[in-house]
Amino acid sequence: MTRNTMIDGWYPVSLASQLDAHGRRTALMGEPIAVRRGEDGNAKVTGGNGRDLPTCIRYGHVWSSLGDPQKPLFAIPEADQPGRRLVDVGVVRVRCSPLRAVENFLDIAHFPFVHTDILGAEPHTEVQNYKVEIREDEDEVWATQVKFYQPQAAKSAEGGITTEYMYRVPAPTCSILYKTCPPRPGEWDVITLFVQPLAEDLCDVWPWMALFDDETPMTDLIHFQQTIFVQDRSILENQIPGLLPLDPGMEIPTRADLTSVAYRRWLKRHGYTYGAQLVAQ
Amino acid sequence: MTILGEFEAASFLPWIERHAAKLGLVQAICVAGPDRIELDIAGPAELIDMMEMGCSLGPIDVWVEAIHRAPIECESG
Repeated sequence: MTRNTMIDGWYPVSLASQLDAHGRRTALMGEPIAVRRGEDGNAKVTGGNGRDLPTCIRYGHVWSSLGDPQKPLFAIPEADQPGRRLVDVGVVRVRCSPLRAVENFLDIAHFPFVHTDILGAEPHTEVQNYKVEIREDEDEVWATQVKFYQPQAAKSAEGGITTEYMYRVPAPTCSILYKTCPPRPGEWDVITLFVQPLAEDLCDVWPWMALFDDETPMTDLIHFQQTIFVQDRSILENQIPGLLPLDPGMEIPTRADLTSVAYRRWLKRHGYTYGAQLVAQ
Repeated sequence: MTILGEFEAASFLPWIERHAAKLGLVQAICVAGPDRIELDIAGPAELIDMMEMGCSLGPIDVWVEAIHRAPIECESG
């Protein structure tokens, strides 16, 4: 049997702000785990057989691993930048592959049709050419120079603007979106998607943001992002096949899917196949 | 279209033929080696783009490193 190469990765398992002594029972890749605040005040995560699992707290979340992580959790330098508001959006459970959740996050073409009049609107449906690469030094997927017209790109945006994006995939179930920051030209708002793989076809999605926005009430920021993800959920839960195909025999990608194809190539290269369909059926 | 990578598996050539047929493209495989495949394809540019995208991922047991495309000069008369 092939070893699951994703076993050594870091995954979000809880909001750090909700950590308590009573704890949270959840799962990671099919294994029941418990997350709680230990007697020393630190986060403590235990596996199904009671063994202690590696743990760290970063970006508003508790992270853990079923295996032996060979490197620290990926860096998001903007998280430490003064003046940003750090937003814990909460959790959305989605009955889909964790890889599907990330791939959907990378897909710009669906904005006008799924997030109508918020992140996109007809007739502005064209995805302009952009650049995608697998950066060898960082071992990450990057899409840059992505431009798209949006009626309301962020809670702080007044009216429609052409928004510029960068997408980054630093881990198989995590993606980071950098987008035009209306109140602070030259800076990027950071919106992340941290996905906890509960099973191959079930995940908890933990969005998190680092924004320059001193005006919008926190509840509105959270509500805006939750609205987006709830709209995505109905699409994600009805995709066929449920697992992410790494053989494009069934789904025929187009030019607009460059980022998705790069993501799938990167998954394939590393053998990150938990939640993937390997052979087209 | 020239595809470079690791194609030890015998699955790739029939996969290419099936994928081209799904897209309604006419293709002919000219060179088929363990690390290089060359094929001539005819059809609308957008569909050839889609062929390139599909081949860059390919079946699970091959690894495509790069794809290069060049127009073929049509013979006339």
